[in-house]
Amino acid sequence: MSTDIKLTRRGFIVKSISVLSTVYFIPDLFAPAQAAKPLHEEVKSDTKWAMSIDVDKCASGCTACVDACVEENGLYGFDRPETDSQWIRKLTIKDIKTDKVKVVPMLCQHCENPPCCDVCPTGASFRRVDGIVMVNQHTCIGCRYCMMACPFKARSFVHENLTEQVTTAPRGKGCVESCNFCVNRIDHGIPTTACEEACMKEGHKAISFGDLSDPNSRVNKALKIKQNRRLRADLSLKQRVTYSNI
Amino acid sequence: MYQLAIRLLLVIVFIISPDIYSHDGINHSIKGKSKADDAAQCVEPTELMQKEHFVFLYHQRDKTVINGVRTKNHSFANCIDCHVSYDEVGEPIPINSEGQFCQTCHVQTAVNIDCFSCHASVPRGRKPEAHISLNYNHLEDQVSQEIEKLVSYVEGVK
Ligand code: HEC
Ligand code: HEC
Ligand code: HEC
Repeated sequence: MSTDIKLTRRGFIVKSISVLSTVYFIPDLFAPAQAAKPLHEEVKSDTKWAMSIDVDKCASGCTACVDACVEENGLYGFDRPETDSQWIRKLTIKDIKTDKVKVVPMLCQHCENPPCCDVCPTGASFRRVDGIVMVNQHTCIGCRYCMMACPFKARSFVHENLTEQVTTAPRGKGCVESCNFCVNRIDHGIPTTACEEACMKEGHKAISFGDLSDPNSRVNKALKIKQNRRLRADLSLKQRVTYSNI
Repeated sequence: MYQLAIRLLLVIVFIISPDIYSHDGINHSIKGKSKADDAAQCVEPTELMQKEHFVFLYHQRDKTVINGVRTKNHSFANCIDCHVSYDEVGEPIPINSEGQFCQTCHVQTAVNIDCFSCHASVPRGRKPEAHISLNYNHLEDQVSQEIEKLVSYVEGVK
């Protein structure tokens, strides 16, 4: 290598990043402002919320996403792990052939063909047009059919009187509840869930959330980089939560 | 005799009316002080609110939960934010507790509502509209991805 080449490897990276960053920063600074729905408008089906989880990036022993969910939605339990509500939980799975162990965050998979909604007798379990599967607690009668129907055990039932609910997440005895992609945040123009935010802050970046219709969304980027899979694809539920490296 | 009857009638009307209609903007009976005490008026004309507040709430809850409409005007969270009273030390008093805003009238009219078995009876946690700026994380994430890609590219051609 001759000495008059001033562009070192380090210099090349730094300079490329500065150039790249202008290209990448500018659209992103403006994109959220355009994307956010005005408060008075109804949600539309051209928004498609989805999440991609990179299992290899998910650290065992880390509970940042779970803790963030508990705090965001006031899911304080009674120290009864069997019945306390869990909107997101961490599973440890082991490949029987290779003995390889992985940890997987499990939450409502937001199916496009949700079995919970099929079995709900009151229509309280429903899929909002933007793809969020949730419980309308005003019409939920607590029959728990949806909990039986869900192949992922993603739903919880509230067994006891609660007193410490947060304003943004009402919840109470006698109703089923589950992850709603932090619907209150999304509707107020915050395009990230508590779990994704926590995972980013922790530096793992295993969770990518976003709108499938927006080519620049984090979820679309994650889907592009790595092959994603749906769990139990044989059931054809078309989940909007997908996993890579599983 | 006729005059006496009128006066008696006036007195009776005067005694009964506070229970039904009188409202001069100051809540004499409710303990503590709320934002509503200082506000000029409710989200709709007072008389309409007295008669129809639950209609607004029932409409709003379906609009919000099913269609994602988040207007503030008839939002339940917003009613509570404005109408909840704070005691001398600034602690909010549950709005459905005895003598508080959502309870006094209902006791008189034998209305029972279960809203507060789920909905927080005092403002608690983040405000619904509080904006969390995530642009920073968002960008940082992308920059680091770019770096990863770039580094692997450079390493590849070396
Ligand atoms: C910005 C503050 C504010 C908000 C938000 C608000 N109110 Fe009010 N409300 C008031 C004020 C001030 C009055 C008293 C008006 C008057 O005296 O004429 C009032 C009066 C009322 C009354 C009549 C009370 C009486 O004793 O006559 C009812 C009922 C009521 N509000 C219910 C609600 C409901 C339900 C909501 C939510 C949809 C709500 N308010 C939101 C400020 C507010
Ligand atoms: C079983 C629990 C439960 C009960 C009981 C309940 N709600 Fe709700 N309510 C919810 C949930 C969950 C939401 C969704 C919150 C969100 O996404 O912000 C909600 C949202 C709402 C909203 C829209 C959000 C807002 O703050 O404006 C309104 C209005 C509302 N409820 C009114 C009522 C009224 C009035 C009652 C009593 C008659 C009631 N609710 C009883 C669980 C409940
Ligand atoms: C001015 C007195 C008054 C105040 C203050 C008041 N209410 Fe009411 N409310 C009534 C009356 C009277 C009814 C019954 C109306 C009817 O049945 O025609 C009622 C009925 C309701 C209902 C419908 C109940 C049912 O069985 O359908 C709801 C829900 C309700 N109120 C919620 C609230 C909330 C929440 C607040 C506090 C923000 C509140 N009210 C404050 C007088 C009041």
